[in-house]
Amino acid sequence: MIFQENATLKQKLEILSDAAKYDVACTSSGVERKGKKGQIGNTMASGICHAFSSDGRCISLLKILFTNECIYNCKYCINRCTNDVPRATFTPEEVCTLTIEFYRRNYIEGLFLSSGIIESPDYTMELICKTLYDLRKAYRFNGYIHCKAVPGASKELIETAGWYADRMSINLELPTARGLQEMAPNKSRKTILTPMRQIQNGMAESRAMLGMKGGNQSAYWYTQKRTGRTLPGAEITGLGAKNLFAGSIQDKAAANKTVDTAISPPAMRETTTALSQWNHMDTSRGFVPSGQSTQMIIGATGESDYEIMAVTEALYQKFDLKRVFYSAFINVNQDASLPAVDGQPPLRREHRLYQADFLLRYYGFRADELLTEKRPFFNTYLDPKCDWALSHLEHFPVEINTADFDTLLRVPGIGTKSASRIVKARQTGSLDYQALKAIGVVMKRAIYFITCNGRMMYQFLKIDEDYITRNLLENDKDVMKGFGEKVTYKQLTLFDDCGIEG
Amino acid sequence: MDKPIRIYQCEDSTDGILSAVYDAGLSGYGHKFIRIRPMVKNQIDNYELFTEYVQVETDPEKAAKVAQTVKEKISREAYSYMMSAVISEYPDRGDAIYQFVTYGFTMGAKICSALQIPCVERIFAIKRAVQNETHFFREFLRFQEVQREPPLLLAVIEPKNRIIPLLTEHFADRFMEEWFVIYDKTHTEASFHQKDGSWEVRLLTEEEAQKLERLTEQQEDYVDLWKTFFRQIAITERTNKKLQRNMLPLHYRKHMTEFQE
Repeated sequence: MIFQENATLKQKLEILSDAAKYDVACTSSGVERKGKKGQIGNTMASGICHAFSSDGRCISLLKILFTNECIYNCKYCINRCTNDVPRATFTPEEVCTLTIEFYRRNYIEGLFLSSGIIESPDYTMELICKTLYDLRKAYRFNGYIHCKAVPGASKELIETAGWYADRMSINLELPTARGLQEMAPNKSRKTILTPMRQIQNGMAESRAMLGMKGGNQSAYWYTQKRTGRTLPGAEITGLGAKNLFAGSIQDKAAANKTVDTAISPPAMRETTTALSQWNHMDTSRGFVPSGQSTQMIIGATGESDYEIMAVTEALYQKFDLKRVFYSAFINVNQDASLPAVDGQPPLRREHRLYQADFLLRYYGFRADELLTEKRPFFNTYLDPKCDWALSHLEHFPVEINTADFDTLLRVPGIGTKSASRIVKARQTGSLDYQALKAIGVVMKRAIYFITCNGRMMYQFLKIDEDYITRNLLENDKDVMKGFGEKVTYKQLTLFDDCGIEG
Repeated sequence: MDKPIRIYQCEDSTDGILSAVYDAGLSGYGHKFIRIRPMVKNQIDNYELFTEYVQVETDPEKAAKVAQTVKEKISREAYSYMMSAVISEYPDRGDAIYQFVTYGFTMGAKICSALQIPCVERIFAIKRAVQNETHFFREFLRFQEVQREPPLLLAVIEPKNRIIPLLTEHFADRFMEEWFVIYDKTHTEASFHQKDGSWEVRLLTEEEAQKLERLTEQQEDYVDLWKTFFRQIAITERTNKKLQRNMLPLHYRKHMTEFQE
């Protein structure tokens, strides 16, 4: 390890923000908290981005590691102990000062504190707790805080952090248990899922005791409720859940042998009191009021999109997560056991996964509607919703003036906002195509799938898979919107089976 | 029946525009022949033929009545639509407000979702533009500490619409105990927030504006630290300037710390 002796604050910030940049989540949404007399800061439910870096990603929080002096040796990570990179560690005071001074200048919405494992998981978690304590108490910070729960840290420390933070996250790292075992030998599914479960139970308890103040439900939860399905928390046995706990489809057999990959959810549910520090903590913010999230690396191990979506769905259902983030794999270590990625990371694939994730959380799609074991990858050229619509043309066209909300949501070009505007607007009179434009429907995509008062927008439109596909690809650049011009990896393409020239 | 169009010329302020709505509404002239034109001071209008002009006296009482009636007879949402249009700079804002309000009195609270009606579509679009601009500045406005003791924060912005009150509301809740000034260079006005939580917005004299501009010229340590962070957090392998430009349009960068030399 290269230690930076007597590093200045600037040098530390340089090292520890560079080290934190691969963490995806930078959201500050999910909790609305007014300013308080004698304190600095508030939070907005929508979240606020404050800048966009040259990779186009949003900067909302001061995203840093507390330290990168890590004792672990995860193959994908730039900070693994066998790497020769400059090392540094903040003091709690430095983190607090940076947060407050950046916040006052409106550079950031709050702090995102992650860390390498210094000495032990408990020692690391203690440092994180100490920093958050100082920030809330001594520096009277009332803005947004996101912090990591360190896998393997004690229950008490995880809880303490949860009373100071707005959001917590524990990274799943790899979609399957087998992948995790290969890549991160010091971590296991169990040390990741245990704190995740603890936080979930704590949030449920906080909600029960404090009501809305105790934290709100996820978009996924609301969508399930709207569509009348079983809500997360009640035990759902779906394809996804089975997968998550068994590791993955392929290593089902292997999973049966290694108990380590499976964690039985009901066991921890029995404990009725998830939270033990009610009496000596400030409960005015609630426990992790903005919920928890996780992320996994895409493209380092051989999982299919189907497996990734199944795991995602299971996480929403079984662990009541707010968000699942995907991170296109970048081979920072040139490790021989990792796939060589020439040029760009699999950004297009990552983009499709995010689109599908939104379909699960807001649109009421199930993972097995989007992909199947036989068709395990998303179409590179069409977004998942168009792709779904094209293979389910029997549901179309949809009549704008009568279709219910959830049917409208399934139309390509109609999002959640425009669907609810349609439902409201048509109560005051019938809608035509002009009105749909005003409402914000993406017409060049929607026209193939809708009628207004029984008529399609143009008489010559046909509801035919080839016809629509060809037109979408020709007229709607957004359908193909990924990042960059080049397609960076090959997938099942629809060109293979309908003979259109790419 | 054909009548000449009647244009109500009024002061370009909340009270001015709402006074015009009041006078025009009670005139009984016929809604579709009425236009409302907010006039910037000393601006010379292109007078049109076959058109009547009416000068509106600004009357805060009339304006308050209009505001109250819109809240009560239509809805609070309609009121916020109207007020967004009032602070906007679209030349047709007076007409959009007038039509929206008169339509709203017959239709009631439902008006806000009736996007198939042209004047509602228009005011909805204006409201969205104003709200969006406000939100962009909540994100991209940058303060700098121009004085240590007592600490004073100053931000300079160049918005299209007069969004200072909306912006200041946000920062007043966030920085309850800070002294801060938000200076709108486009409209030469500024809001002043005191440590006790009170704040006011007012037009600036030339001299005051220059004084504020001079204050922004000094340097401070955190600027350098922020630039360092901003540079380090980007992932080289994912560089995508086009996406960055979509999310953060160039004209917002003018007063942003991280984009300054």
